[in-house]
Amino acid sequence: MRRVLVIEDDAETAGQMADSLGSAGYAVDVARNGTEALERGRGADYAVMTVDRMLPELDGLEVVRRLRSGGVATPTLIISALGEVDDRVRGLRAGGDDYLVKPFAFAELLARIDALARRSGALVKETVLRVGELEVDLLARRARRAAVEIELLPREFQLLEYFMRNEGRVLSRAMLLANVWDVHFDPMTNIVDVYVGRLRRKIDAGGATALIQTVRGVGFCLNAAR
Amino acid sequence: MPLASALLGKTLRSSTFRLALLCVGLFSASIAGLFAYVYWSTADYLAGRYDAGIVAEERLLLDAFERGGAPALQALIAARRAAAPADGDLYLVADQAYAPVAGNLRSWPSAARGHDGWIEFRAPDWRPEAKAPPLLRAVTASLPDGTRLLVGKDIDETRQFTGVIRRGIAIGVALLCAMAAVAGISVTRRTVSRIEAINATSRAIMASGLGERIPLRDTRDEWDQLAANLNSMLDRIEALVRGVKQVSDNIAHDLRTPLMRMRGRLEVALGSPRGEGDAALLARTVAELDDILKTFASLLRISAVEARERKVGFAPVDLGKLAGEVADLFDAAAEERGGHVRFQGEPGALVWGDRDLLFEALTNLVDNAVKHGRGDVEVRLTPAAGGAELILAVEDHGPGIPAGEQKRVFERFYRLERSRSTGGNGLGLSLVQAVAQLHEARIALADIRPGLRVEFCFPALAAVAQHAAEVAAPQSARGKPDPAAA
Repeated sequence: MRRVLVIEDDAETAGQMADSLGSAGYAVDVARNGTEALERGRGADYAVMTVDRMLPELDGLEVVRRLRSGGVATPTLIISALGEVDDRVRGLRAGGDDYLVKPFAFAELLARIDALARRSGALVKETVLRVGELEVDLLARRARRAAVEIELLPREFQLLEYFMRNEGRVLSRAMLLANVWDVHFDPMTNIVDVYVGRLRRKIDAGGATALIQTVRGVGFCLNAAR
Repeated sequence: MPLASALLGKTLRSSTFRLALLCVGLFSASIAGLFAYVYWSTADYLAGRYDAGIVAEERLLLDAFERGGAPALQALIAARRAAAPADGDLYLVADQAYAPVAGNLRSWPSAARGHDGWIEFRAPDWRPEAKAPPLLRAVTASLPDGTRLLVGKDIDETRQFTGVIRRGIAIGVALLCAMAAVAGISVTRRTVSRIEAINATSRAIMASGLGERIPLRDTRDEWDQLAANLNSMLDRIEALVRGVKQVSDNIAHDLRTPLMRMRGRLEVALGSPRGEGDAALLARTVAELDDILKTFASLLRISAVEARERKVGFAPVDLGKLAGEVADLFDAAAEERGGHVRFQGEPGALVWGDRDLLFEALTNLVDNAVKHGRGDVEVRLTPAAGGAELILAVEDHGPGIPAGEQKRVFERFYRLERSRSTGGNGLGLSLVQAVAQLHEARIALADIRPGLRVEFCFPALAAVAQHAAEVAAPQSARGKPDPAAA
């Protein structure tokens, strides 16, 4: 079972996070302040840790910095109530791998942690990605489903590539915006749905089953046809 | 009148009055000094002339005595008196017992007995028609035969003349002082009353509110300018305060309504048995809470952008590339509504800014244009002012914004009536404005019938860099250590 370290000073929030991660199959440890976080972070091998920026005793970013300089490479999700662009940049520089702004949906949290937990495994450098009948050649920039060529615009290709690399994982709209469009704020619009809708029409046109599923309240998920 | 006496008290205490008083004092002292010099030199000159006349007359008489003795002296005196009978010349020859022998003075003055020399005296019998005994000045001499000679002049008129000058000077200086004091007080009073008007307004503002203004007197002097500047500062503060109040009222309204709705729903659910509808109710409540949280996040974000220090974290941003990306991002959304988002412009147009904030601002504008415009949206980037400026415009073909509301759409929570039913929280354009201000970009709305054109006018990076170089050059020159000193 993969372990997650939740560094969060608010007891109720920490409890809710532990519950939702626990029901998704993670073992969760909670650290309530900076000192405890350092001890736990150094002591055990975690798949992912989440760090609240505002901590008593020690700032969240300082915790990450110290763990990193101590050789702890655990993928880190920084959680903050501050929405400024500068903060996100600083958080990522300190060794955080992703950034989530409070308030967030637990589904979003879970999606991010899944993505980070996967990242900690070996990253395969493939040039051809396959999911069921779907095949994407990254070098030739071509996509096929059951040997039928699919015409994709560059952005649609990027979107599909990201889905393929995260096969079976729930990807939130914010994650898609950040990773495909490099947009780091909520544009308050259904732009992602529009693109996913187009992509879906194109890749499902030659197949019997829908590959991209909508996950209510969170985002989308690409699954091999069952 | 207590008000007048209070004003007088303030006038007397004011520093302007003290300064005026000092000036008046110095001026009066120098004027008095000048008059005194004129007076003393005039008096001295007149006295000198009289004495010289007396000495010359005495010399003449002594010469006559030397040549012809007492008879010649008396004959000369008689001749000189006959030549100028009404003149103020005094002659007296007296024997050893000071009994008059010849001349026009009745008796030998007691002050001149026993010694020779200059005397000034009053003789009651000289010019008896005069009101007071006139003042006479004479010189006496003893002659070789024992008789005595007195030669002199009536200097009463001269004395009266210098007295007039003295009085004139005294009155003049006194008048001058009085006038200067009156002028000083009136100038000071004016100053004090203007300052008092400002003070009274300040007190009224502290006591009641920002509605008060300092009265202008249409003199267009420096006081009116000060009052006008203070008034426009007050206008600005009042507008800001009103804005803050408006925002907090809007927050209260826009957030209380959904919160009340949720509260009611939850209360009803609490009183009913658990059942099928619970999941839907919870999902709806969570969605509404998300909207409220998003609104808070937007508000905080606008404040953060507004409070952000200028230029911190800025870098060159390719506005052409960025606009192209936004157009590309929204083209799909526009297509759903049967239109397109087209970008017209070239990449490579650089501005100094924060890429993410600019992207967000432009996203807001294009999103609005797609939602409210009908059909196509154009995003145009054109250089202006000879390359010193870049104009980034978003045009739609929708109903536009009425001229009366164009200013207000940038206010937080302000929404056009017709967009109330559609999504959005009325904060998008506030953020756009905050980002524009951070980038020193002008923002303008125009009606292009049909449609709306929103325009950002950015200073181009080339112009910015040039300006920065101009600003930095003198600083680095100052900062450089002087090689001669080292």
